[in-house]
Amino acid sequence: MAIANESQQEEHNMQEHHGAGRYVVIWVVLLVLTLVTVFTGRMHLPDFGLLLALVIASVKGTLVALYFMHLSEHRGANRLVFGVSIAFVVLLIGFTLMDFGTRFRLANPPGSQYSDLQAVDIGANKAEGRQGGHLDEKQKQEKHE
Amino acid sequence: MSSAHVTPGSVPGPKLAAHFASLEVQKHAARLGMWLFLATEILLFAGLFACYAAYRFLFPEAWAACSRELDLTMGTVNTVVLITSSFTAAMAVHYAKEGKNKMVGHMFVLTLLMAVAFLVIKYFEYKHKFHIGTLPGRYYFYEGIQLPGAPLFFTVYFASTALHGLHVLIGMTVLMFSTVRAYRVGDFSANNYTMVELGSMYWHLVDLVWIFLFPMLYLV
Amino acid sequence: MTPSSSIAAPGAVPGHEATDDHGHHPSYLTDGTTVKSWLLTVDHKRIGIMYMAWVLLFFLVGGIFALLIRIELLTPGPTIMDAMTYNRVFTLHGIVMIFLFMIPAIPSIFGNFLLPLMLGAKDVAFPRLNLLSLYVYLAGAGFALWGMLNGGLDTGWTFYTPYSAHTTTTVAPVLFGAFIIGFSSILTGMNFIVTTHTMRAPGITWFKMPLMVWALYATSCIQVLATPVIGLLLLLVTAENLFSLGMFDVARGGDPVLFQHLFWFYSHPAVYIMVLPAFGVMSEIVATFSRKNIFGYRAVAYSSVGIAFVGFFAWGHHMFVSGQSTFNAGVFGVLSMLVGVFTAIKVFNWVGTVYKGAVEFSTPFAYFCGFLFFTVFGGMTGIAVATVSLDVPWHDTYFVVAHFHFIMVGATIMAFLAALHYWFPKMFGKTYHEGWGLVSAALIILGFNATFIPQFLLGNAGMPRRYYEYPERFQALNVASTAGASLLAFGFIIIAVYLTYALIYGERADNPWNSKGYEWLTASPPPTHNFIGPQPTYPEEPHFYVDPNTGKGEVSDV
Repeated sequence: MAIANESQQEEHNMQEHHGAGRYVVIWVVLLVLTLVTVFTGRMHLPDFGLLLALVIASVKGTLVALYFMHLSEHRGANRLVFGVSIAFVVLLIGFTLMDFGTRFRLANPPGSQYSDLQAVDIGANKAEGRQGGHLDEKQKQEKHE
Repeated sequence: MSSAHVTPGSVPGPKLAAHFASLEVQKHAARLGMWLFLATEILLFAGLFACYAAYRFLFPEAWAACSRELDLTMGTVNTVVLITSSFTAAMAVHYAKEGKNKMVGHMFVLTLLMAVAFLVIKYFEYKHKFHIGTLPGRYYFYEGIQLPGAPLFFTVYFASTALHGLHVLIGMTVLMFSTVRAYRVGDFSANNYTMVELGSMYWHLVDLVWIFLFPMLYLV
Repeated sequence: MTPSSSIAAPGAVPGHEATDDHGHHPSYLTDGTTVKSWLLTVDHKRIGIMYMAWVLLFFLVGGIFALLIRIELLTPGPTIMDAMTYNRVFTLHGIVMIFLFMIPAIPSIFGNFLLPLMLGAKDVAFPRLNLLSLYVYLAGAGFALWGMLNGGLDTGWTFYTPYSAHTTTTVAPVLFGAFIIGFSSILTGMNFIVTTHTMRAPGITWFKMPLMVWALYATSCIQVLATPVIGLLLLLVTAENLFSLGMFDVARGGDPVLFQHLFWFYSHPAVYIMVLPAFGVMSEIVATFSRKNIFGYRAVAYSSVGIAFVGFFAWGHHMFVSGQSTFNAGVFGVLSMLVGVFTAIKVFNWVGTVYKGAVEFSTPFAYFCGFLFFTVFGGMTGIAVATVSLDVPWHDTYFVVAHFHFIMVGATIMAFLAALHYWFPKMFGKTYHEGWGLVSAALIILGFNATFIPQFLLGNAGMPRRYYEYPERFQALNVASTAGASLLAFGFIIIAVYLTYALIYGERADNPWNSKGYEWLTASPPPTHNFIGPQPTYPEEPHFYVDPNTGKGEVSDV
């Protein structure tokens, strides 16, 4: 019967009970990974630093989801929901970045492309009352005068 | 919804709402509902992650410089605190399944204490930023980093940490209900731990988001 | 077919509060008549009816704004309002119609009412959250209306930055209102998904669910996955408007096109939140009034999920001229065509169902015919505007306006009215006057075409949208469009009159269509917990009709 199947399966899956040791192990692994990512982060690896950090974060996140949130014991809909939501996060970020990565250069604000980036003085100076990297209307007028 | 009847037997069970066919169905529905809710939370943060990714792509230098301006020690301590609080929340579910209500309460109290610690550390981080002027958008007045995109980094920083902080507060409220119930009523058991489980799941989500925010903000 | 009375067996369950001594079961309408029993109900049927009252009210508001727009455009120059007022009016028309009418229309009214009935359940999985979603919706609507009354806003319903971040009109409360309404949408979506997974009666497997349920399920998936993104975005823009945090501010390196990405990540799939339930309604109606099992059940079911899925891969086609990269525009243009494939699968199956069916040409079927025309015509123009090179000249002209009114509004309104007529006896146990039904259906379909076909021509001739003045050479078509709009309004007035009359004086009816949908297995109007006695069993498929040609029961193909 339809009702019974899905919910009984769920009940059955959730009846597994493990010792507390499992949680301790995951906790220790998470702490170790945190130290690893801090260590590699401080090396300021030029190209793949962020990528490496995100890979480590994904591993940590997977551990939390699988064991702390018991996703490893779930079947069916619960897993699907989590998987689909992650997939759509990737979709949103992927298509957005694809746009930014393939734009013709003039579409981006000046100085915003990696290749033409240099230390531009954006002009923040509290003593002169300039904040946020651009002049307020009032200051603009003063400058013109 | 009026409750129709309570499961027979000596073990105290949860109440069955009249519209569910059985307790199994009710528990399954609650759990699936929670997963769906967590999916909406994940996509809520996805919007901020997309902003982060786009601007990191446009302003990598400013991103690196601003990221180094953050206090890595405080960030690391906060990560450790939050991971540990997630661990205690998981242990609370473990004890709830075994019916050890006192321990459930203790574990959640530990979790709540660490949540408070997280917020206190965050407060000091924020305070420092307000002091030196690494603030979002037009409030930015820090002279140490004069790169285009620097105010934007702090817009993303404040938006994401503030939203995450809000979730910490919501999570604390949710856990408080379970804590009080564990101490006062003490009816969690292998048969009846949905409330503990769902509250704990929410807390793990808060942890999960931070696991990603931490390297993104502090370790570029 | 078993009549409903034998399924609603007299064996009353002990403890069933809706049973009196004589075995007479009050319907959900009469079970408690106090105001409190309505306002605090957790009964999905009453919540659906309350949604209906509010949604229809907002439809009236949005409709009045639409008429104001059409009256203003009657003459080339200023007619009844100035430019600023016009900007506010079309913005409010968009916001009210989209957020307050179209998104909740079919899922929240008919979905709430029918989903548990179609699954043989007593209620949705979370009845209290269901009630909460109604009040959250009203709270959001309150915020939005408050903002409108305090000056209104002139950004268009899309709230594009940088204008929305800088305009001095009341953007913040309306944005915040839309943010709150998002929660209502999410709650409904979660509720439906969990209900579909857990509350199906014994015998209803995934592929024995009515197609309306499949459509609602796919819709709910979109609501759950897409709404949070726009929720966050609306918060960011509110913050931008109030505190200028600079997230999308070009002067500080921000990128307004990023706003558009996040906005359309929700708002394009939102089109399917509006139109997928309409597809579901029509799948039910076409089977009932053709007296034939739906042709290609699995194809229709899968294509609902398919549309929900590929709907997420198409958002960039709203941004062809806004600075998106050419490469992305091409990719999104091609991916947008996929939606056409899945929609075409549905259209072919509906036509296949009607083919050689014993068609009963009643009001819902008349709306089905209108729906088919609008879906095909609107869908084909959609393929056209998804082509980058064609969209560049058409962008922001009345061609696009006419296109989305055809597919999104036309199809949804047809389905909404069809559903209203088809399930009116189910909801209230009464019938309306069939003649008036057909007359008003003809008026509305005619009026809708008369309103928007001139707009296709106007757009093709180059009239841009969102202007309150236009060159004199466009006047003839604009007058035609306004005339069509008044026909539409007239049609809606007739419907309002005869349905109100039917509500009070209508003839008693139980299942006037002899429909075999699962929702008709219980009494009309249904009792409080939907079924009296033991849960009915569902041995047959939901669209099981005897084949008119062979006289045999047709087995679902594919």
